[in-house]
Amino acid sequence: MDPLFKQILFALLTLFIVLNYGLLVQGITRKIGARVGRRYGIPFYQPYIDIIKNYSKRTRISHGIMYYIAPVFRLTGGIGLLMFMPVIFGNNMFQNFSFSGDLLLILYFQFFGVLGMALGAGESGHPHSAIGVSRGLSQVTAYELPLTLAVISLAVQYQTLNITEIVAAQQGGILNWSFFTNPLASIAMLLAFLAAMGRSPFDVVLAPQEIPIGPPTEFHSGLLGVLQLNRAIFPIAKLILFMNLLFGGASSWGELIIKTFFIYMLSVVVGVVYPRFRVDQSVRWYLGVPLVIGVAAVLVSKFL
Amino acid sequence: MVNPIYIIAVFLGIAFSIGLLRKNTETFAGILSLLTLGFASIVSAQWFYSFVTADIETFQIFTTAFKPPFSINLMMGKDEALFTLMINAIGLFGGLYMFDKLKKAGKNSFIALLMLIMGLNVVVMTRDLFNLFVFLEISSIAVAGLVILTQTTKSISAGFKYMIATGIIAGILLIGIAFIYSYTGTLNIDFILVQNLEATKGISIAVFFIMIAIVLELKPFPANGWGLDVYCSAQSGVGALLSSAYATASIYVLMKLLPLAPENLQFFIATIGIITFVFSNLMALKQDNPKRMLGYSSVAQIGLLTAVIGLSSVIGSYTYFIVISILISHFLAKAGLFWISGIIKQDSIKNWSILRTNKILLVLFGIFIFSLAGLPPFPSFFGKWELVMQLAETKNFIWIFAILIGSFFEIVFMFRWLGYAIKLDMPNNEKIKVKLHQLIPLLFFAATTFIAGYYISSEHKYASLINYLPLAVALGFAFIEFLPAFIKNTLAIAAMAAYYYFNYESYTDIQGVFAAIFIIGGILTLIAGYAYKGKRQGFYPFALMMFAGLIGLVEATTTLEFFFAWELMTIGSYFLILRGKKSIKHALSYMLFSMGGAYLILAGFGMAAIGKSDISLNILSNVELYAPWIFGLLAIGFMTKTASIGLHIWLPGAHAEAEADVSPMVSAILLKAGVFGLIMLFLAMGEQFIGNISFAYILSWVAVITALMGNLMAAFQEDAKKLLAYSSIGALGYVLFGLSLMSHLGWLTAVSFSVTHFMFKALLFLAIGGVVWRVKTKDMYKMGGLIKKMPFSFISVLIGIIVLAGVPPLTGFAGKWLFFQAVVEKQWFLQGAILFFSGIITFLYCFRLIHTIFLGQPKDEHRNIKEAPFWILVPQYLILLVIMLFSMLPNSLLKPIGEMLLPYFPNGAITWDGQMATTALGYWNGKIVMFIVIGIFAVVLAWLLFMNRKAKKVKQFNIGYAAERPFLPETTHFAYNFFAPYQKAVGFLVAPGITNFWQRVDEGVHSVSDKFTKIYNGNGQSYLIHIVAFILVIYLISFGGF
Repeated sequence: MDPLFKQILFALLTLFIVLNYGLLVQGITRKIGARVGRRYGIPFYQPYIDIIKNYSKRTRISHGIMYYIAPVFRLTGGIGLLMFMPVIFGNNMFQNFSFSGDLLLILYFQFFGVLGMALGAGESGHPHSAIGVSRGLSQVTAYELPLTLAVISLAVQYQTLNITEIVAAQQGGILNWSFFTNPLASIAMLLAFLAAMGRSPFDVVLAPQEIPIGPPTEFHSGLLGVLQLNRAIFPIAKLILFMNLLFGGASSWGELIIKTFFIYMLSVVVGVVYPRFRVDQSVRWYLGVPLVIGVAAVLVSKFL
Repeated sequence: MVNPIYIIAVFLGIAFSIGLLRKNTETFAGILSLLTLGFASIVSAQWFYSFVTADIETFQIFTTAFKPPFSINLMMGKDEALFTLMINAIGLFGGLYMFDKLKKAGKNSFIALLMLIMGLNVVVMTRDLFNLFVFLEISSIAVAGLVILTQTTKSISAGFKYMIATGIIAGILLIGIAFIYSYTGTLNIDFILVQNLEATKGISIAVFFIMIAIVLELKPFPANGWGLDVYCSAQSGVGALLSSAYATASIYVLMKLLPLAPENLQFFIATIGIITFVFSNLMALKQDNPKRMLGYSSVAQIGLLTAVIGLSSVIGSYTYFIVISILISHFLAKAGLFWISGIIKQDSIKNWSILRTNKILLVLFGIFIFSLAGLPPFPSFFGKWELVMQLAETKNFIWIFAILIGSFFEIVFMFRWLGYAIKLDMPNNEKIKVKLHQLIPLLFFAATTFIAGYYISSEHKYASLINYLPLAVALGFAFIEFLPAFIKNTLAIAAMAAYYYFNYESYTDIQGVFAAIFIIGGILTLIAGYAYKGKRQGFYPFALMMFAGLIGLVEATTTLEFFFAWELMTIGSYFLILRGKKSIKHALSYMLFSMGGAYLILAGFGMAAIGKSDISLNILSNVELYAPWIFGLLAIGFMTKTASIGLHIWLPGAHAEAEADVSPMVSAILLKAGVFGLIMLFLAMGEQFIGNISFAYILSWVAVITALMGNLMAAFQEDAKKLLAYSSIGALGYVLFGLSLMSHLGWLTAVSFSVTHFMFKALLFLAIGGVVWRVKTKDMYKMGGLIKKMPFSFISVLIGIIVLAGVPPLTGFAGKWLFFQAVVEKQWFLQGAILFFSGIITFLYCFRLIHTIFLGQPKDEHRNIKEAPFWILVPQYLILLVIMLFSMLPNSLLKPIGEMLLPYFPNGAITWDGQMATTALGYWNGKIVMFIVIGIFAVVLAWLLFMNRKAKKVKQFNIGYAAERPFLPETTHFAYNFFAPYQKAVGFLVAPGITNFWQRVDEGVHSVSDKFTKIYNGNGQSYLIHIVAFILVIYLISFGGF
């Protein structure tokens, strides 16, 4: 079979696995949250039902072209991010299209989806969407800084931006993980990760009690369905990224599922415990301690 | 040829005859006088022409049968011919200008005019000291007579003060002459000079008296109050005569008598001159009355000439060239400006906006201002250049500094004045009435300025190499201003395309890249000019002048050509920026920063030429002395053009207030001139150090802070074009940082980003320009929801901001990827982190730009708005095509530039394998990324279309608002203070510290100027005390009393 065709098939398989995993994780997390709060909780397959419900709705309206294709941008961003990343280490079938670009491509490609969503939210004409976008962008610029510093630190440490090589360098035992060999960069990156997941204390963007879910306010039925698909894929893609960079990657799907689940739980636990930051607070916070840690990480890897 | 004695004879004869005429024969007397003056001019011209072309011998004129030293003799040499020609010419044209006034005052005023000119002729030609004294007295009396022509209290008192002052001066002169006669036994200059003056005891006092009197005639600071009062109150024509004729003659007297003075006295004279230059220009800053301001400027220019003459032993053989070039500019321009002020008769420079009712006068005014400012192609430009070169050669850096400071003050008040004339509201509905006999002298002098400029430059060894073709084409457009705009536009585009076609093969790599940016970019932005209807007067000559300057920069082989092109570019862009509606103070600010930078570059070039035999640009490659200084001066000079932090305050106003197609020209194209300069500098001089710190390292921090501040300030703007202007500041910070890395990857980033920035900035400015054209406001919160009505502009802006933000798969990402590789390779992580942060901030303002204008809710007044004009869209879409090409095939941009840089930076290049780029650190394949993204996008879109094909279209206002209905579109469009929380968090970083700094500098200088002008209290006795004190102090200093 044509290797390219084979690659595409395996990429679709990856996508399928990740999609299901994402939906299930969402359901399970809500179930766990409910049980911790002494409620019964939703069935773990609830996200599937939500998506099917959204797609089945008959009424659909459109505010314009940009609004219409915003979910396309968003989903393309999510899928693309996944496609540009090597998923399973040591397994040629699940390298996806990571030969297209290195870590930098991944870092910058996340903005593709963000931009598209922002544009769509803007054209929906809803002021709450715009407010949400303004907050979201402010926050993104804030947390990207420690994230970048951490990435620089890792790049200097491993002398490469190739994700597969970074994962390879972390093989051979838990203590080889970047989490232990470069703790400062890891901490900075994980602090940025909290905001990337969009849970408390950085959930002012979608602040459910303030602006009715912010940017996606005007999206509904099939359009919202597309966004929900993205909401399953995008965070998992980011989790896989963090796993590859900090926690030694995964050599099998099982390992991947376990590792990403626990990393995700980190943000869930923090989210459940902490209240929400205002935007200026979160911006100032990120330009404080995480920035210092990031700078320290860079300096340490430069001089060691 | 006519014996020059006949000049005097005819003057005397006609003057006496006029006295014998009957009453009511004023016109006849006037015509007779003009004929006489014409005759004298022709005689001088004949002599001058013979000296220049046939190189004849100096002619000695004997006045009696006896030979000197027993009789008075005059001399007609080349200098005398030139100076008498100038004096006679101004007499002729001045008399023509003042004809009506002189007629009204009576025929005796013509006699006064004739006597003045005659007196000055003899003053120039004479070789006898006492004769000099006599005719100086005659000239003074004649001047006093002309001053009192206008019978007002002010002028009569000014005339009286003039008599007192010149009386004292003449007295001092006479004493000196008497002593010299007593010591040397002769009054003939030539005979005195052959004697050994130093040997005779006591003769130094005599020489001192003579020289100080001559210097006082030149109105030095501070003993010149009497002169300024005369300039201020006398009639404009008289002012012209004074500043052009009298000052010219006095300068020649100084040149003649200078050999009498010992070295240290010459040095003092030079010092007095330069102090006069600096302080008079400083005091002119606070003037509001045009004639007084011109008086200060006259005094200052003469002071400069005095300084040059005093330094002639230092400057050597170039003294004559420098003096003549500066003098001719002053002579022609001052007369012209005085004449114009006489025509429009306004007492405040702010009312000179009335000039706009007469376009010819406005153009003449502009020509004279530029000539006086020392800008090309006028003579004073070459004079100042050579002066700086010579002073640098002899390491007189303090003098260079003083001259440049004084020149800078000149620029300030002159361009403020020009700005008032061109942009201020006209006071009322008056029109200027100009008569033909007033206009002819002006036209003649303006034309002569250009001819003199060309002639002077052909006399200069290097100036004659300058390629005048682009400038000539630009000026040629001034003559076809009557044509409609679209014809001129086509001609302009054709001219630039033809020039590029014939020359592009001769450009070496870096030249080629920038020539492409300048010319092809220029053509693209000119295409947008088709959207303008009417004639668009005053645009094309200056636009082409700017491009002529830009291309001159690329083609320059000598430092003079480079500087010439730099100034030309500044002039053109100044007028383009000035066209904006609210641009008056921004254009002035732009001019000041540009000229400041230009003067630094001039000083740098001067220092670089020390000890070198030529001034080709290669001298920068082997600088032996003062290399860090030269580097610093040139770098800062170039950074004023790239608006680095600290020197950036002119940019937002200038770019934002400019017209729709001027903004892309200046923001996308002109800033690259500074980049080009820096590239040339780095390539020539390499890395320079101050102590242990490399300049490149300092530059990297400056660049990084510029990038951060520029981008951060852009995020907080409410004005769309200001946002883009600040974004330019940030982008140039990026480019400068790339250059400072001094590595292959760094320079690849810098040069490729220059090209990319040009593309997306031009795209964005054109798009926003088109939007502003329709909505008639630049504030973003007043717009909104324009996506439906202006979809093409929206697409342009969308692609523009994606490229600007560096999001893959478009070509902006290439820049970010390269930059990251370069930073990690160089290990400048901290700077890199800040720069990355500023890159992220780009997202903020990119989104703000597109959201607040195109998305959200539309305002009612914009519901029926049309798309941007077609011709403004055309260049945008051409640029879009190129962007798509570069995105799909990144190595079509990056590979050629990489290969170009290999000779300079052989290590660390990118390895290309098709479209896959690999460095030591990472890899990226632009084409595949593009395909993957498009593939996924297409699939998802197809699926969405399939599912949502029955979606119903609704208007933008049809939104669900949590159980309420929204009230008005205006209150539902979130645009104002879009990033309020962000501003709260980091807003303190963008406090206007630097703007406040420059403002305080400005106010400080003006208040110092104010303090000094209080010396001139109008009291004649005070002025006398000034003169006497001046003499005393100079005596004591020069004779070692202090």
